Amino acid sequence: MTTSKFHLGWFLGAGFGVQSWNQPWSGTGAHDWMLPDQYVDLAHSLERACFDFLIMEDSVQVSDTYKGSMEYYLRTASAAPKHDPAVLAAILAHETKHLGIIPTLTTTFYHPYTVARMMTTLDHIAKGRIGWNVVTGSNTRAAQNYGFDMPEHDVRYEMADEFVELAHKLWDTWENDAVLADVENGVYADHEKVHRLDFQGKHYASRGPLNTVPSPQGSPVILQAGGSSAGKAFAARWAEAIISNPHGTSKMRAYRDEVRTLAAEQGRDPDHVKVLYLISPVLGETTAEAKGKLQRRKDAMSKNIDGLLAGRSHLSGIDLSQFDLDAPLPADLVSNGHRSSFEEFKGDGTQTLRERLIDHSAIDTIEFVGTPEDVADQMEGVMQDVGGDGFLIAGAPLNRRYVAEVTDGLVPVLKRRGLTRDRYEHQLFRDNLRAF
Amino acid sequence: MTADRFHLGWFGAFVPHGWNQPFEGTEASHREWLDGTFHVDLARALDRACFDVLLLEDSSMVSDTYGGTSEATLARGVWAPKGDPLALAPLLTEATEHLGISVTASTSFYPPYVLARAFSTLDHLSGGRAGWNVVTSSEDRAAQNFGLDGLPQHDERYERAEEFIDLVDRLWSSWEPDALVMDRETGVYVDHEKVHPVHFEGRYHRSRGPLNTLPAPQGRPLVSQAGGSPKGRDLAARTADLVMALPKGVPAMKAYRDDIRARAEAFGRDPDDVKVMFIVSPVLGATEAEAAERFERRRQAVRDDPTGQLIGWSGSMEIDFSRFDLDEPLPADARTNGHQSTLETFRTWAGDRTLRQAVEAYRTEAVELVGTPDSVADQMGAIAEEVGGDGFMLWSQPPTRQYVTEVCDGLVPALQRRGLVRTGFSSTQLRDNLLEF
Repeated sequence: MTTSKFHLGWFLGAGFGVQSWNQPWSGTGAHDWMLPDQYVDLAHSLERACFDFLIMEDSVQVSDTYKGSMEYYLRTASAAPKHDPAVLAAILAHETKHLGIIPTLTTTFYHPYTVARMMTTLDHIAKGRIGWNVVTGSNTRAAQNYGFDMPEHDVRYEMADEFVELAHKLWDTWENDAVLADVENGVYADHEKVHRLDFQGKHYASRGPLNTVPSPQGSPVILQAGGSSAGKAFAARWAEAIISNPHGTSKMRAYRDEVRTLAAEQGRDPDHVKVLYLISPVLGETTAEAKGKLQRRKDAMSKNIDGLLAGRSHLSGIDLSQFDLDAPLPADLVSNGHRSSFEEFKGDGTQTLRERLIDHSAIDTIEFVGTPEDVADQMEGVMQDVGGDGFLIAGAPLNRRYVAEVTDGLVPVLKRRGLTRDRYEHQLFRDNLRAF
Repeated sequence: MTADRFHLGWFGAFVPHGWNQPFEGTEASHREWLDGTFHVDLARALDRACFDVLLLEDSSMVSDTYGGTSEATLARGVWAPKGDPLALAPLLTEATEHLGISVTASTSFYPPYVLARAFSTLDHLSGGRAGWNVVTSSEDRAAQNFGLDGLPQHDERYERAEEFIDLVDRLWSSWEPDALVMDRETGVYVDHEKVHPVHFEGRYHRSRGPLNTLPAPQGRPLVSQAGGSPKGRDLAARTADLVMALPKGVPAMKAYRDDIRARAEAFGRDPDDVKVMFIVSPVLGATEAEAAERFERRRQAVRDDPTGQLIGWSGSMEIDFSRFDLDEPLPADARTNGHQSTLETFRTWAGDRTLRQAVEAYRTEAVELVGTPDSVADQMGAIAEEVGGDGFMLWSQPPTRQYVTEVCDGLVPALQRRGLVRTGFSSTQLRDNLLEF
């Protein structure tokens, strides 16, 4: 039996923000993270390695959740500063030919018309390779930057649902053959094929039509990360690829099965919803070298409890400095931010906060460590256990050395084994995503 | 007192960056190396890390000395295949802003006029960042590809090279700097009185001239050489801006640099106008132990498979090393079809070593550098201070993107933090940058 291929994506966990900047392999990252160069290099490397896509996470606040102060976040460049990934997306799209380019845009902070128009514009620039990572926002400080308080978690999803529905309707306001570009008769577009929308929803309204012409993909590929029940319902309706972080193969498999079932209930082909698992493989020339690296990383984490607390505070919107490090978190503690990931992080109450911080990675569904051959074996095994559909390499903080280890070390082994793509079959990102 | 800065260069070749090792990418199998992608990425990384120059060595043969067949060289990709670096160079200058690109071209195989014209053109295309790495070549197999039976012996090759360089210099200066007038009113593009035939008649080369290109931005593209023999050192001291060298150990490095500078002075040159850069290949790790283990793995790979080095020597010395017992010294009666001087140099170095011991002892680096970026930066700073300058040429065999990032994003920032290397460029031209300090 031949193993079917699985997909690879790259998750830029720090968004268009400060990447590796004060580590041994950071290069000039402290000074030039805001220039496109490092991301252009990354995109070129990913394309060489035949990744399906690059996704850029985003957030729009300078956090002060941890200890009620911006100090930690700014001092360590954690989650701030961060620039607008949609602007970078245009450059990356222009610099590449095959790679899907996915900026993150928050439904809660945009009007659907703005997003619909921007995505169409980008999809043209990318010749059909744009995706949209739909997030609802999670942090009160972010909402306050837009002049309001953060809506409650499930309300945000209700809003997001209507938002995406409206966006799709806007994308459909132009029939596919509306543009004639008829030079001889002097007709550019046929106005009878461009339609008003007059959408009036509970949260949003828009008259339409869009003032952009239909893009190569018609609509961007929708990505989403949702582990909560509201998130999963949203994903089942809209998402074409899901960023997921269930820990361990049995949870990974269960998550995928559930999403596929929910999608089928929505009348969708479950194969059109790709579940991708976050991983951060640790690679070395030898197994021992890789394990040494992983151990150093863990040692560094256990010495940086402050940083781990600040990161989790940022994601959950809860100031975790107020809790006892050597006791489990209160069972009734609920996040209005990244709700399901916080639930997962809290665990079942058998581990202390300190232990959870070290053991429970925000960027690893499963720990992969070893030589490229070792890790390829591990990835193949996991895919056989969970049934598909692929992995998202997180590997934060980003530096060029790590990128080279993945694209020039790990991926060549995966390709040789026929486990990942070795060429792009299609022009459109969506078609490549559905190719297997 | 702030430490004196030194220069960084990269010593490379237009060869596959690897195809059967971890971290070397699949691109070789897709012929990606020959489309220039790897070297464009390399050049951009070096530009970012403020290297002065990327130098591409070259040779033009498929060697069949080892075992009397090309099987071993081709099976392992030693010596061949190798793309023409002169064709690659414009891609690299186009992808970079400050990095100089120095291309190897042999005085034995080019007509001087072709070479002068090509490098003038490259200097224009790059806005003054072109370099010519002068070699005389030493392999008869290469000479036979150009219709020659073989190459002249060492000293004659250097005499030819000296004359060749003189002629090329005459051609480069056959246009006065202000020959281009572009006077719209009088309709004169070039003032013909400022463009002069050279009427060069040498022992080995002739050319009428003038060159049919405009004066190059640098006037004379940067000239580099690797001269070890007395003849070679003289040629370098008289004509080169940059000398690459492989003396073994810090005292030898210092002696070599002092010697080149003294010879340059004897030729009436300012010794600071000749930069001596030493070839090194640092092995880097996140910890000292990781770096030491990596170094040991590389040494062990050579011990496990000495054949690779023997194939390399067979090609350069034109002696079939497959015929000799690995556990004996090179037989006293071993003869070369090629160059006696290359063989004698090897004999002197190898001494009583068996071939196996020679393979294990051989290093293509002036000094071993192993450690974390910080400790290697300290070592390089101390060596440069001891030697007196002028810099290092880094090489990696074969290069990988992982290694390039370790140097450019690990080692170089550590050197920059110590004020040992440049963090920016004051000129857009290669020679200006090299002579800046």
